[in-house]
Amino acid sequence: MTMATHSDRPAMAFRLGRYFLMPAFIAAVCASLFVYLSQQEPDRIVAQRLNFDSIVDSTLRHLYLVGVSTVLVIAIAVPLGILLTRPFARTLTPPFVTVANTGQAVPSFGVIVLFALTLGFGVRYAIAALTIYAFLPVLRNTMVGLQQVDPSVIEAGRGMGMSKRAVLAKIELPLAVPVVLAGVRTALVLNVGTATIVTLTDAGGLGDIINAGLVTNRTLLVVTGGVLTAALALLVDYIAAIAENVLRPRGL
Amino acid sequence: MTETMIRLEGLTKRFPGQTEPAVEGLTMDILEGEIVVLVGPSGCGKTTTMKLINRLIEPTSGRIFLEGVDITRSNPDQLRRRIGYVIQQIGLFPHMTIFENIATVPRMLRWEEDRIRRRVDELLDMVGMDPPRYRDRYPKELSGGQRQRVGVARALSADPPVMLMDEPFGAIDPITRERLQDEFLRIQSEIRKTIVFVTHDIDEAIKMGDRIAILRERSQIAQYDVPEVILANPADEFVKDFIGSGAALKRLGFSFVQDLELAQWPTARIDDDRDTMLRAIRRALANRGWLLLLDDQRRPRRWVTARDLQRADTPTGAMGQEVKAVVPSEATLADALNEMIRTQSSFAVVVDASGAYRGTIDFTVVTTTGDDAAAGGLPGQAQANDEQAGEVGGRSLRP
Repeated sequence: MTMATHSDRPAMAFRLGRYFLMPAFIAAVCASLFVYLSQQEPDRIVAQRLNFDSIVDSTLRHLYLVGVSTVLVIAIAVPLGILLTRPFARTLTPPFVTVANTGQAVPSFGVIVLFALTLGFGVRYAIAALTIYAFLPVLRNTMVGLQQVDPSVIEAGRGMGMSKRAVLAKIELPLAVPVVLAGVRTALVLNVGTATIVTLTDAGGLGDIINAGLVTNRTLLVVTGGVLTAALALLVDYIAAIAENVLRPRGL
Repeated sequence: MTETMIRLEGLTKRFPGQTEPAVEGLTMDILEGEIVVLVGPSGCGKTTTMKLINRLIEPTSGRIFLEGVDITRSNPDQLRRRIGYVIQQIGLFPHMTIFENIATVPRMLRWEEDRIRRRVDELLDMVGMDPPRYRDRYPKELSGGQRQRVGVARALSADPPVMLMDEPFGAIDPITRERLQDEFLRIQSEIRKTIVFVTHDIDEAIKMGDRIAILRERSQIAQYDVPEVILANPADEFVKDFIGSGAALKRLGFSFVQDLELAQWPTARIDDDRDTMLRAIRRALANRGWLLLLDDQRRPRRWVTARDLQRADTPTGAMGQEVKAVVPSEATLADALNEMIRTQSSFAVVVDASGAYRGTIDFTVVTTTGDDAAAGGLPGQAQANDEQAGEVGGRSLRP
């Protein structure tokens, strides 16, 4: 017990330090951007895009795209991952993993444009495309997370009279949580980046600012959109890391 | 205590894709309150046989009875809650505290929290772990030996009549293993569960088993008997090979000094006068020559000869030789032999619980008993050795 308390203290201090470091860095980046922008003399096109309301709108839309698609990914990929690791589905596992791998290998740009061309433009299809694109990391991590559970722990549970479902709910899933969450975190960050592209299919987001800059040859817009996207990705990753720490079962 | 607890009847298990069955037509009775050890070379089907009992593996054919009830078709989850299960890898749930681990089965059985709490503390005490100190720890904070203790406590949590243990001490260092084995035997002497214990180690089987089933491939019983009989009368070459060359030595652990007829020596009290001592020597058989001096509580003190007694300058307490090899009468012949080797004597003085002299035991008595089919007291043989005792003893005692 004494060992544990001694080793806990520096770990806590370290963690606290990390907790403040990243938000401070993100805030500093945004502040620098703000200072830089306020020193520029915007023309009409830039001013139309770079006002508070417009930026907040784009950011919220971006978060919406990322949030909804990630929730959808979790809702589909985690149950599918569970299903594919059950003994009865052993024969189905390789084809599913192959399909998911292929999806990941196709460039995000291609997936989204392909979706827009075949299904249509707009938010709904953009979300569908993002969901498919972020599917693999969550599916794969769910499967790996479940497969890496020590078989003797499962055998002990079964041997004590826990039903298969109880073993899944009380042993396998909790033990897989850290790995699954790592997959979700990857999907989130991936989606923040990919969601800049869906502006091309008329779905909005921070990609609007970047695209407007590219089309009208306004570097200021491109830089602003890019920096904001990067800051958002870091922030999302940071929040996901905290969630990972909080949700990881104790004792692991 | 002699009721049949588990009965296996014509059990066969054929795994898909394998030509040979893993277990074939196994019939076996396991008596209540006994530790039955299934022992055999790897791949003989002993673990499969054990898992058939709690139906982690479903038999292809045959029937299993628990307390006289056919459980071959009953709900396996309900069944397993009545059968404790300990495996070599222990399989503690790493994300649960020690308390939660042990409380698993009681919770499934919907015990009240209060009762569970009391039971967990009781079990931790039983396996020698301080409840307040260990209850809320996680498995990774425990040593291997402590984890195995928790594994045993967890298996006992709902007080099941039957326990299955699959090489429970296999992955533990030899010193801790021995301690855990001893502890487990002590616990078992109190709780008297029916235990099926799987091991590949014949020494562990002999130590733990009330009864040993030596299995050959396809889980065929080569011999099923108490360890003494298996060691003394191996059924065939397979069993003989499996027990190994040390069988005679191992059997000494099952014969007790008190079952042998002890040789007697002339004795005197250490505070007697020398004439009394000399008379005692002369009264005894001519070939003995040595006298054993006892203190006022009849505890053996010194060996003396007539010559020692005639040397008037030495005080009685320093005469002759110190008594070195002493064994209590409840010791095994293995202990007695060990004592003789340790003290480099060819015989040992046997004392009772209070340390008082009872007789002596001779090296040749030990060796001939170990070599004979019927272990235990052999009055005739002990008598025969009695006559050599003086000679052998005298030789070893000569400075």
